[in-house]
Amino acid sequence: MTTEHDDVRNLLAAWAFGALDPTERHTVPQHLAECEACATEAERLHETVRLLDNPALAPTPAPEPPPGSAPVPAPDPAPGPGPERGPAPGSGPAPEPAPGSAPAPEPAPEPASGSGPAPDPGGAARRPAAGVLAEPGPAGAARRPAADILAAARRTRPASPRVAVHAVPYAAAVAGLRALLPEMVGRWSTPVVHDWDVHATVAHLLAADEHLARLVGLAPRVPPSRLPADLSWTDAWERRTADVIAHEHGRAPEETVADWAAQADGLLAVPEAHDPERAARAVELMGLRLPVADHYLGRAFETWMHTDDIGRALGLVVPPPPERHLWQLVRLAVRVLGIALGPTAPPVLLSVTGGEEWVLGAEGEPVRAELALDAYDFCLLVGGRHDPGTVPANATGDAAAVRNVLERAASLAWL
Amino acid sequence: MESTENASVQPPADTELHRRLVYGDESALAEAYAAYGGLVRAVAVRVTRSPGAAEDVAQEVFAQLWSRPYAFDARRGSLRTWLSLLAHRRAVDYVRSEERHRKDARADDSALHAIPEPGPGPDETVVDRERSLLLHTALAELPPHQREVVHLAYFAGRTYRQAAVELGIPEGTAKTRLRTALRTLAETLADPPDPALERGA
Repeated sequence: MTTEHDDVRNLLAAWAFGALDPTERHTVPQHLAECEACATEAERLHETVRLLDNPALAPTPAPEPPPGSAPVPAPDPAPGPGPERGPAPGSGPAPEPAPGSAPAPEPAPEPASGSGPAPDPGGAARRPAAGVLAEPGPAGAARRPAADILAAARRTRPASPRVAVHAVPYAAAVAGLRALLPEMVGRWSTPVVHDWDVHATVAHLLAADEHLARLVGLAPRVPPSRLPADLSWTDAWERRTADVIAHEHGRAPEETVADWAAQADGLLAVPEAHDPERAARAVELMGLRLPVADHYLGRAFETWMHTDDIGRALGLVVPPPPERHLWQLVRLAVRVLGIALGPTAPPVLLSVTGGEEWVLGAEGEPVRAELALDAYDFCLLVGGRHDPGTVPANATGDAAAVRNVLERAASLAWL
Repeated sequence: MESTENASVQPPADTELHRRLVYGDESALAEAYAAYGGLVRAVAVRVTRSPGAAEDVAQEVFAQLWSRPYAFDARRGSLRTWLSLLAHRRAVDYVRSEERHRKDARADDSALHAIPEPGPGPDETVVDRERSLLLHTALAELPPHQREVVHLAYFAGRTYRQAAVELGIPEGTAKTRLRTALRTLAETLADPPDPALERGA
């Protein structure tokens, strides 16, 4: 007896919530009829759920869902774990949640479907199933169209603008950094990389994007630096970054962000971001003569890398760019790596998991080694965020040839 | 029966959806809304009793998901639960501020009755409504582990076993958390802070 009593006792809350399995539903009322202690407790819990249910409204029978309510596309376009019943109980016009599709137990059915002659609580099987919850209330208040709700949401953060394929990863990376901005508030001086804090890292991006911005005809947003004409591109690059960071540290972080965002929006608005032909023109930037289209990818890469840096500093996981973008970055990185290795390096077959293969190094010679890397890891390596000695990779063949490739990749100092 | 059909506990789908939200893909927002808009609204309606208010809450919740995607962390739970919790919190805030306005309006005797009272509202109804708000306030303050089980069982209509699978916890734990949670709520009622409420008890 005690075991049954204890079992039921433990089930009472689930019962009151209507969250028992169909198989268990009978045991509760049976026991309640015999056990006064449990019946009292059951009544108390049941009353609590009744009040949670907001009885002020309860008497109104659930009306038909408003006609023409928001169209609900595929029942489970997104997450829904498995074939459970619909992801959104009551989300759709369907008055019942996910009709037949899932064998899953019906939602919150009455706890003790009236079978219990118990004191009372079981009988008052009340709570409307979750599916009905969506449409309580007197038939009033039309459901707001999904388009309105989504439009209101989008006003809070710009979506990626539509641009040509070569600029899409940059547009996404800019959106990605924007998504992180609210998390930076109040934490601008958190150290990130080098000797930069969060504020300086955004300032660096402002400086780094400026070179392409100038090439496409946008005016610099920070007073020019006075640099000797004979500086190497790396020195000029570093001096400019240092100047911009110093300048921005004298301003509010929000001002730096606003300038970075305005410049990024400018880069995504110019014809070079929309017209592949105009983006085919080769220009020299960061010591590399590449089509403008590729420089857009370079901007995407750097923006993503530094967003990732900031995320780490703030204890947040920045997701890798969408797969398609990642591959655009990989292809560019392979091309740059090929140039850096030069035509005489011992040939290595590089394969990036789930995608393509390239032979890097000397042509017409037998391949000395094979090297396989994950796309994400490869990007981190090229971005200088993985150590060539410890990057997760599968290598066979001539170890020296492999090491040469890995070290060259890591030393691209691409960003 | 074990509801093994729910076994895919944290589907990568949440992670992927989050990634797309982060990178500014509007279609991800539309998908999240199609999947969870109903749940969010249902939670809000349950608390506010006002379909109009529920629309406002839904709008706020999805605006937050879009403008601050990093507030959701897939390592800490499902998007479904996160949205449900957020909707609940917002709905409780909404009702509280309505109550304040109503009291102010009464005090001022200024006829600022922007909020339509649902139904005629005899005393009992008013008391029930206040007790309901009290309960929902207490629910919003439960420890996160208890709250998420309650949300799955109560708002999303899961059995405690399904909830256990979804959360990746033992069934016994789900049962215990529901029990602890509901008892805490029941005690809130037994010991209401506002003496005016005792009449109704």
